[in-house]
Amino acid sequence: MEFAFEILRKLNPAALVLKAILVAIVADSLLLAYILLRRTYRKRYFAKRDARLLELRQKWDALISGEIPYETWRKSPSDRRLVETIVLDAFEIAGPQESARLLRFLRASGLIEKRIFGARQHRGWRRHRALVALGRMRAPEGIPALAEGLRDRALETRLAALRGLGRMACPEAAEEILIWVGESGLVVPEFPLQSALVQCCAERPQALLPYLKHAQGAVREVLGRVLGEVATPSLGADLLQFVDDDLDELRAAAARALSHAEPGMAIDVLSELTQDPVWFVRLRAVVSLGKLGHVNTIPVLLRGLTDSNRLVRLRAAEGLVGFRTEMVQIFEKTVATQDRYGFYGYLTALENAGLQGKLEAELKATTRISKQEQAVLLEVLRTGALPVAQPVSPDIAMSAVASRS
Amino acid sequence: MIHFLEISNHALFYYYLASNLSYLIMLIIAVKTSAAHQRRLESSMPGWIKRSPLVPPITILAPAHNEEKSISVAMRNLLDLDYAELEVIVINDGSTDATLEVMQREFGLRPVRAVYVPQAMSAPVRGLYRSDVDPRLMVVDKEPGGSKADAVNAGLNAASSPYVCVVDADSVLERDALLRIMMPVLADPKRVVCVGGIVRVLNGSEIEAGRIRRVRLPRKSIETIQVVEYLRAFLIGREAWAQGNMLTIISGAFGVFRTDLVRALGGYRSHAIGEDFDLVARLHRYLREKGADYRIHFVPDPVCWTEVPSDLQSLGRQRARWQKGLLDVLWPNRDMLFRPRYGRIGCFALPYLWLFELLAPVIELAGILTIVMAASLGALSREFFIQFLIFGYAFATVISIGAVLQEELTYKRYNDWQDVIRLVSYCFLEHFPYRQLHMVWRLQGLWQYLRGDVVWRPMKRQGLRSPATD
Repeated sequence: MEFAFEILRKLNPAALVLKAILVAIVADSLLLAYILLRRTYRKRYFAKRDARLLELRQKWDALISGEIPYETWRKSPSDRRLVETIVLDAFEIAGPQESARLLRFLRASGLIEKRIFGARQHRGWRRHRALVALGRMRAPEGIPALAEGLRDRALETRLAALRGLGRMACPEAAEEILIWVGESGLVVPEFPLQSALVQCCAERPQALLPYLKHAQGAVREVLGRVLGEVATPSLGADLLQFVDDDLDELRAAAARALSHAEPGMAIDVLSELTQDPVWFVRLRAVVSLGKLGHVNTIPVLLRGLTDSNRLVRLRAAEGLVGFRTEMVQIFEKTVATQDRYGFYGYLTALENAGLQGKLEAELKATTRISKQEQAVLLEVLRTGALPVAQPVSPDIAMSAVASRS
Repeated sequence: MIHFLEISNHALFYYYLASNLSYLIMLIIAVKTSAAHQRRLESSMPGWIKRSPLVPPITILAPAHNEEKSISVAMRNLLDLDYAELEVIVINDGSTDATLEVMQREFGLRPVRAVYVPQAMSAPVRGLYRSDVDPRLMVVDKEPGGSKADAVNAGLNAASSPYVCVVDADSVLERDALLRIMMPVLADPKRVVCVGGIVRVLNGSEIEAGRIRRVRLPRKSIETIQVVEYLRAFLIGREAWAQGNMLTIISGAFGVFRTDLVRALGGYRSHAIGEDFDLVARLHRYLREKGADYRIHFVPDPVCWTEVPSDLQSLGRQRARWQKGLLDVLWPNRDMLFRPRYGRIGCFALPYLWLFELLAPVIELAGILTIVMAASLGALSREFFIQFLIFGYAFATVISIGAVLQEELTYKRYNDWQDVIRLVSYCFLEHFPYRQLHMVWRLQGLWQYLRGDVVWRPMKRQGLRSPATD
């Protein structure tokens, strides 16, 4: 303790405090001055900028058509930025015709060239800014420069290039992204990569398959997810090769993609995937079965109701509710499973879809079951309580369900 | 004795120096981080995420207790948020007013038997309702649990999304708040387990139909001082701690969590005083013990606006409660201190909280007492004392102005010149007598906790009304 006191004494705070006061007061003054000066400067800057913006907007059509020579504004960096901002904002809400007109203007005025040059020659945040603008322009001639941006050392620049390519939403941009991912692996976060690929591969999902075959690890997962998102019936049997993949994500993606395939082929495969050890693969399979909306999926979805995972149960229930003409039979079978969670899942989905009244009416009208069974089912529907029964093992319940279906 | 007093006064000086220096370091980190964040926003395009089919679903959990006046507007705001896959669960926590009736009337609630798995402890649920007007809305009506934690747990048991977002029903969220707060999750879904959003002071701003029309500073001094405090705490403190993955608190007013993890922890601790801090501390412990590679993020964009106390009594109660909450979490987790197993949390974040947050009022009080004793014994160097006061004042002001600067450089929500001048003025004015009052409230909180007084006392609220319309 004495030692600590000695140290404090030696530090001599009295000598330090005066210097500290001086530093603190100077810092206070500098910060205050900076805030006030910055505000004043910005106020003037924005007033000037807004006035010029208004001026440019007033002669917008003449500017776009080239009636006002491009050289009159292109040489001033601030005017150039303003014009570009107006065009890019207009691009966001433009229809096809207006987009084409704006693109012609961007080309003719040299704004695209300027940004391509910036994206290739600049470094750091200037390159980043050029890539963002180039992406917003959606001009195909910007694709090579954006693809070069993907190989930048800075993550933010790579992301700007990737998002720019995503905005292109064309197979050429997809090709560039896939080549780059194949070369460098996953060097950006997954979500922007997936989003960009989803946009670019929507037109031609087949482009993904060769890359997916050779991809490894995390890249394979990402590509799998993209495939799941963009798959179309045209992919057909190509999807089957991923059903037995070692990678959970890819099995899940295949399950997701199979919702677009022919029911005849998809149901058997999806049925197998509903028994996958990984819950999200089962979830994807159940969701896809629901989307297929084929009566043959009912027994599998009923089994999904008794899954160990609550999300799988919920999605299976949502899938079952989609069968509006078989509601009575499905309800009967759901009750037969004697699975409380599955049963509640089904009731939830039914109520969410606002179909409880319809089921009640159909139960009252049906002649397919005995009056006694009818009364029991109506009571179950009203009270939400399963009828008291001998404990039934899930296997027996499921076999009962299967035999009825 | 005199020797001891002299030494203790010097120790106090170094304590203040260390406290303010640590804040200065945080300020530098925060300014740097915010600048990079601003640049990133240029190309991040939240609008794109809005339409993306790849975003994970979110369930918003909004506990409500006697909110009949504002519940309808608050729910509409939540349902209006930009997000593709959204579910809103409002938990009516045993309201004694017409909160449930208002919701039933406005949103056409009908009783449902939704899947409710009681994984997290909460008071019994009376009923579950789904809206006919908007099927994304669900209401859990439950017995009063006496705490927000209890209500959130009930919502958690009914949630069906992989992420839950806990909000206060009386807070105002910006329309793109969910898109912004989910950005870190989307960027790194495997590692990011929760994200906290910035909470800003709503008082004084102009509100229209539950949305902020114009951000203004509050009129009352006591509220304006809290604006400075919030800027300092969020734009400097949390931003910097999050940078080192050492964020120990995610505000209960707005935070996103991975549902499976919160469920694995058994939800919120029902009797925790600071349930938000408690949950994050338990998350850190759980994940560190599992050796998980995880991140807890903070989003500094202005996203959530909340009403702060506007009278001294309510503010005092709130601050005493926060101090109790701090002790309530730090004491049970004292075994994490300086244990390498808990990494930076055990070695930096928690010791900081003990030294500069929990014990701060005690050390301040001890400092005042020793100064008084030294003065009465003639051992106080007046010159040093005055210098010390000036230093403390000037240095603390640097930090507060730094927070205002951070706001100016980045988010700039106070556009009015008058507001900025007032904000800066309060950086100078908050030190006397507000800081001393704050110390007293915090000491009260510690005393109440030690006495076992943990009763929650409500604060007076104005609700979602604009002062301009009053």
